[in-house]
Order: sequence, then C-alpha cells, then structure tokens
Amino acid sequence: MEKKFTLGIDLGTSNSAITVTDLESSESRVVEVTQLVGDNQVGELSTLPSALYIPNTSEFSSEATRMPWQKEGEGAFVGAFARNHGALVPDRLVTSAKSWLSNPHVDPKSAVLPWGSEIAEGKCSPFECSRLYLTHLKQGFLHAEAREGREWDLDTCQVVITVPASFDEVARKLTADAAEAAGFSDVVLLEEPQAAFYAWTEQAGNEWRKQVSAGDLVLVCDVGGGTADFSLIAVAESEGNLAVERISVGEHILLGGDNMDLGLAYALQAKLEDEGTEIDDWQFLALINAASAAKVSLFSDDSLSEVSIAVPSRGSSLFAGTVSTTLDRETLNAIVVDGFFAITSIDDMPVESGGEALQEFGLPYASDAVVSKHLARFLTRSLENIKGSETLRELVSRGGASLDGGYLKPTAVLFNGGVFKATAVRERVLGLFASWGNGEAVRELEGFQPDLAVSKGASFYGRNRVTGEGIRIRSGTARSYYIGLESSRPAVPGFKPPVKALCVVPQGMEEGSEHVLDKRQFGLVTGKAAVFRFFSSEIRGGDEPGQIVSNAEKNLEETSKVEITLPPMEEFTDGQAIPVYLNSVVTELGNLELWMKHTASEQKWKVEFQVRMD
Amino acid sequence: MSSTVVGSQLTGNDSVPQIFRISYFFSKMKTQAIIAGVLLTVVNGAALVPALQPYASYAGPGSLAIGLWLLVRAAISRGDAQEIDEGQLAEGAVTVPVAPEPEVEAPKIPDASGEVEVVTMLGALQEKGRLVDFLMDDITAYSDAQVGGAARVVHQGCAAVLKEHFEISPVESVKEGSQVTVPADAPSGTYRLSGKVEGGAPFTGKLVHKGWKTTQVKLPRVIVKNKDGLPAIAPAQVEVG
Repeated sequence: MEKKFTLGIDLGTSNSAITVTDLESSESRVVEVTQLVGDNQVGELSTLPSALYIPNTSEFSSEATRMPWQKEGEGAFVGAFARNHGALVPDRLVTSAKSWLSNPHVDPKSAVLPWGSEIAEGKCSPFECSRLYLTHLKQGFLHAEAREGREWDLDTCQVVITVPASFDEVARKLTADAAEAAGFSDVVLLEEPQAAFYAWTEQAGNEWRKQVSAGDLVLVCDVGGGTADFSLIAVAESEGNLAVERISVGEHILLGGDNMDLGLAYALQAKLEDEGTEIDDWQFLALINAASAAKVSLFSDDSLSEVSIAVPSRGSSLFAGTVSTTLDRETLNAIVVDGFFAITSIDDMPVESGGEALQEFGLPYASDAVVSKHLARFLTRSLENIKGSETLRELVSRGGASLDGGYLKPTAVLFNGGVFKATAVRERVLGLFASWGNGEAVRELEGFQPDLAVSKGASFYGRNRVTGEGIRIRSGTARSYYIGLESSRPAVPGFKPPVKALCVVPQGMEEGSEHVLDKRQFGLVTGKAAVFRFFSSEIRGGDEPGQIVSNAEKNLEETSKVEITLPPMEEFTDGQAIPVYLNSVVTELGNLELWMKHTASEQKWKVEFQVRMD
Repeated sequence: MSSTVVGSQLTGNDSVPQIFRISYFFSKMKTQAIIAGVLLTVVNGAALVPALQPYASYAGPGSLAIGLWLLVRAAISRGDAQEIDEGQLAEGAVTVPVAPEPEVEAPKIPDASGEVEVVTMLGALQEKGRLVDFLMDDITAYSDAQVGGAARVVHQGCAAVLKEHFEISPVESVKEGSQVTVPADAPSGTYRLSGKVEGGAPFTGKLVHKGWKTTQVKLPRVIVKNKDGLPAIAPAQVEVG
C-alpha cells in the first residue's frame, strides 16, 4: 500500500521516543506518547521510559493501571509510572531489557526478567519486553494522536526502528520480530548512530554538504543513558555527489550517563557520611536525581561554582527530614570529565573484568568506566578492519586519511546523547583526539540538537527510503560471517585438527543482495544429526565470500554451534553427503539467510543462520 | 461526557434569562479559578520560600493563601468531575476540551468543576515537589537553613511539574521598571492598572510585574473515578517485608 507517513521509533535502552513524518505535508514532529504517569493517572510525555512493572495482583486495582487499549487482566504496565514506582520495588521492575537481547548467555525468549527477581509469576522474556514496549508505543501514538483529532492508518506507514550499531544479526532479527508481533508491518531497522547522522543532515539543511567533504571520516560518538555506541562514516565523492558509507561499528558497551549520575551520587553520599549523615535507599535514589539535575545546572552555567542539593526523607516532615549538601564544580569535573573522559593514551585499552574466580551472572556492564579507553579500542580495531579490506583502504586513503599509526583517525566528530549536551565534555573529547593526533584537531560537526535525534533521524530515513530522495548511508552487514568446515586430514591421537571456516557473508553485504558460492561444492549431510559451527568477525573487512580462514577458533569469534537434522533427499540415503553450493542472502528487511542448494536440482535447504553462541 | 447543554430550547443570547447568564459567568470563573489557584499556589510556593523573606516577594503569602483558597474552593464545590472516557477515545470518539470555549453564542453551560483533576494535579505537585508536606508542616519550629533545604526540594520538583503541565511565559517581555503601553485590545485579565487611571485606552505606565500566562494546560487524567469521593492527594506509603 502507498506510504503516507513514516514513524521513526527510537527503542532505547532507558527511554524510547517516536517521531511521525507526514509525507504529504512533510511535517515532522515528536509524538507525546500516552502512558501511565501515576497510579490511576494517564498523561502524555515526549519519551516513554523503557521500563516494565509487573505488579502484584493485589497491589493496584487492575482498572486503575489499565491503558485504554489493554485487555482486562494484562497486569504489567510500561512507562513513567512503571519506572518511578518500580525504583522502590526492584523485584518487579524490568529495565535495560534491550541489552538482554544481545546477551549471549541468555535465551532471549525465556522469561528471565526482572533478572534475579524472586517473584512467582509474570516474569517476561527480553523479546516479550521489546514487544510490550513497541505495542505501547504504537497504541500510545495512535491514542495521543486521536486525542488531537488525527487518525492514522498504520497500513500506510513506513516504520523505522533503531537498534544499536553493536547489535548482532540475532538481536536485530529479534527486534524486527518483536515489532511484527506488536502489530507493525514492513519494519526496517536502522543503526542508532546512522539515525543521528540523518537527523544532523536534516537539521543542517543544505549546510551539511559544506560542513563535510569527500575524504572526511566522521566518528559518530553516541553516549546515551545506559550505552555507548560508536560508528565511523566515510564521506566520498561519487559522480559529483557526496556518498556516505558506514565503515565500522563498535562493540556493545554498557556505559553511559546513568553511570555518571551514579558516580556523582556515590561521591555525595560519601561526603554526607563524612559529616555524620546516613541516608537510606530511598534517599539515595532521590540523591541520584538531584545530582543529575545539579550536573546539568553546573554544565550549562559556567558562572556557578557549586549547586546546593537537598534530598527529602521519605516521611511527611519535609523540614526535619531534608538532608542538604552541595555539588561543587571540582567534584563534578573530577568525576565526569577527568573520570569518565580521562586523557588516556591511544594504546590504553579498557581493562577487562577484575579476574575474580566467581562472577555474578548478569548484564555485561563495562568493567572499565573510562569512555576514552573504549574510544581508543574502537578506533584501533577500526584501523585493523580497514587494513584488511582493499576497498575500504582505498576509500579511506583516497580522502588523504593516514593508515599509519595505531588507530584510524577521524577528521570530524558528531556527538549524540544527553552526556554531550555539556560543552565541557565535548571539549574534553576533542582534546582527547588532539592529544592522540599530536595536537592536530578533529572538528565537531555543528548545528546539532541531540534531543530525541535518533527517533527524528529514523523518521527522516523512512521518508528518504519511501521517496527515494535525500541521502542514504551505505551500510550493509556490520560483520562478516563464516561457517565451519570439517577438514579432511589424517587423524592423529591427541591432536585436534584446527577448524577451517568459509566466509559466507562478507562485511558490508547490503540489503536485498545474495551470494552464490558456485565455485566450490560442499558435501551436505542430511537425514541424520549434523553439527554446524558459525563464526563472525568485526575486523575482517577484506574477506570475500568463499574465502577460507584457517584456524577459525583463533582468528574468528565462534558465535554458535548447532546440531540439526536436515530432511533427506530421495535418491540419497541418510547420512550420505549431498553435493551443494552455498547461497547467502540478506533480505530486503536486512535478515540473514543461508541456503544449501543441490548442485544438480532445484532442491535446497535453509539453515537457520545462528550467529550467536548459546 | 461532561458538557451539559442547559436551555437548549432557547434560540439566542437575547432571550437568555438573567439567571443563565449569571451561572454561565460563574462556571467560567470556576475554571479560571482552578487554574489560577494551581498557578498561584505553585508560583508563590516556589518563588516565595527560597527568598525566606515573605514580604519582599511580589505577591507575598497573601496570594499563596488566595491560591490555596481557590484550589480548596474549587475542590469542595459540588458538581460532577469531567469524565474523560479513555476507552471511548481508543475507539475513536471525540475528545473533551480541557477548558470551555469562552465565546459561545448558545447558552451552553459547560461543567467546569474538574475537581478530580485538580486533586490529581495537587498530587503531582506533592509527589514530585512535596508541596503539601511543605505547606502542612509547621514552619515555625525550624531554622532558616532547614526551611531553605526543604524549599529546594519544593522548587526543583514543582518547577518540573509546572513545566510538564503548563506552558508558562511572561505576559510582558520587557524589563520590569520600563515603560509599557497596554494594548487596547488586550484580553481581560492580562493587565491590571493601578495609580492614576484616567482617560481612555491605550494606557501607558511603568511595568511593575511582568505577569504570567500559560498557553497550554495539560491536566493529568484519571482512569477510574472513585465513587466514594475524591482521590487521595498522596497515598500512605507502606514498606512491606
């Protein structure tokens, strides 16, 4: 059906937002989503906190927390009240569900959230949480718009949902499936740093072509509430126009603005304890909020040297129970600027976890809180990736970028995320780049308002996709994928032959494309259980489909190992190897598929692409 | 739905009996009083206290009291609360306007009590800004430092609630103390003249207070009405286990 509008959905780790763009009027705006704002209260807010609260059946009257679109008995609720109330009842609150989608140790469809909770019933899977958030966003959008007298037909909508660039193909597929289960159709996914870039080009208007030129290498540095996400975008010239291509993405780093607020709150708590004042858990939560507000005040007004902070007690006596302290600029700079964004050297990599024999099992929070070191690791790995690929090497060096030194040096940086509203933090990161580049500055792309930029950018991308106008960032798969091969060599006792792996999906393989590896036949075992091993790499940009990588266990990351029995073919007996060609496909919606085609007939088998270790 | 059409058999304004006009006037007053009451309470509750010098502030405790009185007045007056049926809305029914249309030709008497929403609004000011705790406590026993600390809590929380529910801007954008000319067609209630008020509009004088106005009111909506009375402003909190 003809598309009449686009919805850009930022399905964030801590907060979600939705932007609608009317394709007829070209009008675009962030929609204030209807949600529960208190017990028995609804209202509209410009973000929907990605929080799910699973109430005790006797806790609230079921009517009083039911959204107008919810069926009776759907107890769990999403949004502002879920987050605020749940902070005091952690056993029943799900947050950061999105990060569990990319967690290799947990089945995303098993009901494990809230993690570590002892509640008897109502637990949710990470997938189900995403579905609930997306359902709420959809209904909350329709409801809020109906209140304003606007009706939308979702069949005429191009939906774009953003995902972290660090999401692997499984997490992407799960997000797309959750959207479908939530009642969206024809969903496309977009990486968050790319969405920020689209939002910037839209805000800068025609200016953006003046701010970047062929040869630029733009680092999108996105530090949100709970995650840090990096991408590199190369600008090149193609037939007189500027062409942009995303050439490198970072790892999933659970580190963001919330960590900084927490750091400040710990410092203030220690200060209060030195003065002999103890605060309880409830007051500590209030202290985090107050510290966050004080941080914003200090960063936005240079004339302030300190900000007073008052934290009430939970009881009704406000005068007697309020605890007062101050956050001064020195402490703020020491923790946020010098702590999280320390000037470290380019070869100073993040410290892996402390090496305790027993570790609590949960979300893999970054064990090193210094963002600078994560940036260093990203740029170092990016260089490694570029060096492996002739095309990328050529693309980058054409612009004059140097491939010498230990890291890939960006020429410009686009900041996104609440942390970078602070000028002091942006200047610090620019200072960090200058220190790495022997004083040579990296410029900041100007004219950017990061508020809800990801959802806006997603909506603009949807528009460009439908109309075929405006820029498109070339991207394709962020990693290359491999399938393990059993090598034929004589067996030797006590020696396990190294596993070889065959590249089936090269890095940068675009949507709607496929590769048939018809230069080489492989024997496929059907009718009896066979083991498939899958591998991937973020840093082998040069591998072509069909290429064999020796010693896969050392050179690649093993992502999964599955045992499946494929249905047999008539003229072959069970267990006999059938000659096949390998055929990899990236669908229009960006899903990866792997097919085994019989060399002599039309018969083919689809092997569920497993790109994750269980 | 709340809008009750009274006297629909009447054809025009001229034939409206005096009694209808008066009640219409009052209902209009009441809506404004609710909003003004909330605003006065918040603005003064927030602005007056940090200074710790009540009488130096423009409005002083008098208008805080008036604001609260208006709130209470609105809350205790009889009449059905505005029913916003979210269920019907979900099915595409028309929305209920938050404020009544002021210039209605037909003698519609909008039901503007909205008392449940006012209590809910007060609840929001309490939840985030501890306003009710602040005002219900006896202030005399505490030092200025303690009152100051509490005032910061109220200020930060109530300011956030205010911004969430209203779009507030000054009536006059020029600096207080400078000369202004009052537009002849200014809507009533946007300017108040004092001193020598003689002759006809437009009046010119010194701006003493820049005034406040709101261009948007977003009241929280209640899902289920409590049949036995008004909702609680703030729940009693119980830590279980």
